[in-house]
Amino acid sequence: MMDTPCPREIEVVASVLDSGRGRVDDESVSAHLDCCEACREVAMVTRLMTSDHDHARRVIRVPAAGQVWWRAAVRARLEAVHAAARPLTWSHGIAGACALGLTVALIGLAWPAVREAVAWASTFAFHAARFDEATTFLGATLRGAVMAMLVAAVCLVIAPVALYFALSDE
Amino acid sequence: MSHLHDIALTDMERAGAFDDAERTFQMTEDAFRLFYDQTARPVWIYLARMTGDDRLADDLLQETYYRFLRTRTVFDSDDHRRNYLYRIATNLVHDYRRRPRRENAILDDAQVLALDTEQTDPGERAVRRLDLTRAMGRLKPRERSMLWLAYAQGFSHEEIAKVLGLRTSSLKALLHRARRRLIDLLGRKEGR
Repeated sequence: MMDTPCPREIEVVASVLDSGRGRVDDESVSAHLDCCEACREVAMVTRLMTSDHDHARRVIRVPAAGQVWWRAAVRARLEAVHAAARPLTWSHGIAGACALGLTVALIGLAWPAVREAVAWASTFAFHAARFDEATTFLGATLRGAVMAMLVAAVCLVIAPVALYFALSDE
Repeated sequence: MSHLHDIALTDMERAGAFDDAERTFQMTEDAFRLFYDQTARPVWIYLARMTGDDRLADDLLQETYYRFLRTRTVFDSDDHRRNYLYRIATNLVHDYRRRPRRENAILDDAQVLALDTEQTDPGERAVRRLDLTRAMGRLKPRERSMLWLAYAQGFSHEEIAKVLGLRTSSLKALLHRARRRLIDLLGRKEGR
């Protein structure tokens, strides 16, 4: 058993590859093979592997160049589309977050007024049974205010959603 | 890789893909066809022998050429271009090996023998190939790559070192060691 590489290994591999997988034609290499166990192993491994390689080369079927090119082109295009859409997705997210923040802020601002209105309404409701006129007036006033607030809230929610769908179609 | 099978594009996008391709890729379609015809078979065999899976080799072949086409590297020779291609293929094989979900099995006996049914080779050759496949399956991935590139494809030590990202000075010893392991696994059945 040889434990060190032989300096002529490269020469041996080249000779085996050139010999068409048969016996080595080069006399000097052939003579060397008789006395060098490491190179005999190199020759044996080279023959085995090239035989396997040549056999596989004959039987395999690879996709046509045009098919590989087409797939690569389509994939490159897809990746380009995704890369271009990435900033738009970010802007949608930011717009949505802004709309949400604005809605919360408006609700926060309007909250004391709402509480005040509810308290005021309770006071009047207490007297409603006795004072029909006052009840009618209060009901009309409150209904108008609540409707206005509902419309504003719906607009705030719908606007960013509509904007999202309008832009995503592009 | 597998997501390529799920591609769904409009006709407009498909047409645009071809317009963009030559701008995106580092070579023209004609140059690619030439290069592909020269290299595809050896690269496929390399991938198949390294992974032991023909279907995976198909996918990795596509991925290898895709990555190659997208590279911005400037090649100073055909050898440089070819070595770069093998380097991509090697990295893909290593990436595949790092994935935990699947057992990386070398071609099983039935697959190897099935390949031989198409040929008129004597049975002895089929058995030798089977022995080789089994033995290669027991080697480390790097040893397998080294041996295949050196002895099946005739790469020089410098080329193998570049493909595998090793130092040329240490390659000879590593190759020697890998070959010794292979010989031991083959059980020294072969002679000169």
